[in-house]
Amino acid sequence: MDFLLNTIRKIDNDQVKEYSFGNDQSLEENLAISFISPKDFDKLNLVPSLHLKISSKQRNIVVKFEKDDNIPEGTITMPVSIWSNQLTQILEDELVYKNIVVSVEATREPILKFEDVIQKIRGIE
Amino acid sequence: MEIYKWLPKTNCKECGKPTCMAFSLDLLQGKVKVDDCPPILKPKYKKQYEKLKEMLGSEEGQQKELRINVDEDLCDGCGICVTVCPVNARYCPPSLSGKAPEYPPEKHQLFQVIGGKCELLNLEHCRRLDSEGRERECHVCETYCPREAIKIEYV
Amino acid sequence: MKRYPCSGCSLLCDDIIVKSDGLFIDKIIGACLKGKERFDQVSAQNRITSPLIRKNNELINVSWEEALAKTVEIIKNSSAPLLYGFSNVTCEAQRAGMDLAREINGFIDSNASICQGKILNKAKSQGINLTTITEIINKGDLIILWGANPAETIPRLLNKVLFSRGKFRMTGREIKTLVIIDPVKTASFRVMGVRDLALIIEPDKDIELIQMLKEECCSADSIPSGGVAGIDKSDLKRLLLHLTGAENGVIILGQGVLQPHADYDLIEELLDLLQLINDRQVKGRISLLLLGGHFNMAGFDHVALSSYGVSGKLQFENKKLVKSEDTIVSKINKENFDCSIIVGTDPISHLPHSLSSKLARKPLILIDNHSSATSRIADVILPTSITGIESSGLVYRIDQVPVELKKILNPPNNIPSDEELLNQLIKKFNGGAK
Ligand code: SF4
Ligand code: SF4
Ligand code: SF4
Ligand code: SF4
Repeated sequence: MDFLLNTIRKIDNDQVKEYSFGNDQSLEENLAISFISPKDFDKLNLVPSLHLKISSKQRNIVVKFEKDDNIPEGTITMPVSIWSNQLTQILEDELVYKNIVVSVEATREPILKFEDVIQKIRGIE
Repeated sequence: MEIYKWLPKTNCKECGKPTCMAFSLDLLQGKVKVDDCPPILKPKYKKQYEKLKEMLGSEEGQQKELRINVDEDLCDGCGICVTVCPVNARYCPPSLSGKAPEYPPEKHQLFQVIGGKCELLNLEHCRRLDSEGRERECHVCETYCPREAIKIEYV
Repeated sequence: MKRYPCSGCSLLCDDIIVKSDGLFIDKIIGACLKGKERFDQVSAQNRITSPLIRKNNELINVSWEEALAKTVEIIKNSSAPLLYGFSNVTCEAQRAGMDLAREINGFIDSNASICQGKILNKAKSQGINLTTITEIINKGDLIILWGANPAETIPRLLNKVLFSRGKFRMTGREIKTLVIIDPVKTASFRVMGVRDLALIIEPDKDIELIQMLKEECCSADSIPSGGVAGIDKSDLKRLLLHLTGAENGVIILGQGVLQPHADYDLIEELLDLLQLINDRQVKGRISLLLLGGHFNMAGFDHVALSSYGVSGKLQFENKKLVKSEDTIVSKINKENFDCSIIVGTDPISHLPHSLSSKLARKPLILIDNHSSATSRIADVILPTSITGIESSGLVYRIDQVPVELKKILNPPNNIPSDEELLNQLIKKFNGGAK
């Protein structure tokens, strides 16, 4: 299903905080996360044990999800982090952090690890 | 506030209180009973009377104490409660412009953000205990906390 | 009791009471959680206190001499170094960064250029009405949050602009109207009162709202009966009344509105709208406040302007400033650099993959005080002290007001401040000449 991805800042899921006081594990827990509306939750036939695979035209990530009543239908929200930035885009020399078209599906694949994101960025798949 | 909704809201003063709101506060604190409001005993208010009885249950009439709980896990120290509390505004001049009050705190001061979390210093001077009339109905700290960390309760 | 400014975010609250014995911080009074975490960084797990070099894909502790020698070697082997970051350092360090860029013929830019710098740049041709926090505290009567959620990003902002009473009156929250325009019901909505206006706009439809408001400003009664972008007609009318009737209104802009679009320029439209409204304003004016995260987001432009006469990015060739159409994004995107010096930021985390992967391919020198995603990739890491706690200096607040940060503690291992370190590097290239 196609969604609009928005990356936002949340004080509870803050990357500076996670790097300072957490470890790879807590980074994953608090940043590899997405928020969707309960209606989309039903549409995607989600159950809590599943994860979400979010794909842009170029690449994809696997993160966990939470229901959030405040998120509008058809959009998916992620905290600003190295995970969400695998999907953010460039448009004419400017950075696009909001309203990015992504496709979202339920998956049994494990959450993408921090170390793996780093490897991807270094070009080692 | 739930309780107030079910009172006659006519402010007829028959209970000896200036307003229904004042009566509802005393009801909450167990200082009066539902039956102390003469109008509500009339048949026309029967449903509301029953509702109130149900809400208060067996605890009706038991003296209760005011508690203001600040949830440490939720609070992010934004200081809105510190600024918005009318008692702080009166006794701590820096809070008028949103600044942190002096430390050590003034003796009337209710809230202070210490170590990134809000602490309730003392309750004595909260308007719900230490004022008259409408001021007793103050609940702005609870209303405006953006993290919904403050709860005013009677236990 | 002495009060210190907080360097936790760009609001730079200057009222923090710090109890300290000069070695440790004992108690912090007044700072929000984010600010307290900033002070905690002094002893954070990820603090770096000695220089590191990557050898065989592993970071190892080395001496300062070795780390600086390696840094000089990387830079000397490069013909187009890129300097980036500089929004979490003092203005003095920004100046030193620019001078270093001149010595090594590099390109230098700050995080601001991908954030609030964009709007300030556009505003240069159109004009812009800015305001200060103090002015809002004392005189503000209308606060509009547009695509901004300060309750999660700048925790004490709402406390200051919305709840404080100010110098001239005894009422605070009661006389200030809050309007929030956002597609998501964020935490900031929870401070709304009965008179306030919550406008849930459909995602990515801000342009429709702006265009409608512009039309309405010119000819009354052009609001379609079905509303615009998911907002009711009656709410739109109220919004317009507030906009034209406020004495001292401020629109607080967040990242939400600064996003680029393929077929129109939202910022330009917004600045136009503001001008229209202010022309029609009878009582006062509406101004802008631009949100930014890092504590010295606003400083870079001021320093570039006062030191080199241009604002924003600088490109040097033959130790002279030259004109360049490039931006930090185009530089990285076209791989128009051959090594990078990153100062006080974490681009590997906060830039899109297409840029971070290109940064990662070239030698990277990181100047920062803690590890991050960028440090996992860096070839050299030079640690510095934490500005605002272990070193002092001038920084600019979000509203372009300068604030002096103060030193409270001594840094561990006598590590230098950003400014001192950058000046040391400059000496390595010009042999100490001025
Ligand atoms: S007697 Fe009942 S109706 Fe009259 S003021 Fe008191 S509470 Fe209200
Ligand atoms: S109820 Fe009113 S007086 Fe009491 S603590 Fe809250 S804001 Fe202050
Ligand atoms: S208003 Fe709420 S979140 Fe803010 S300091 Fe008070 S209790 Fe904490
Ligand atoms: S709002 Fe920002 S500057 Fe103010 S105390 Fe919090 S982190 Fe520090």
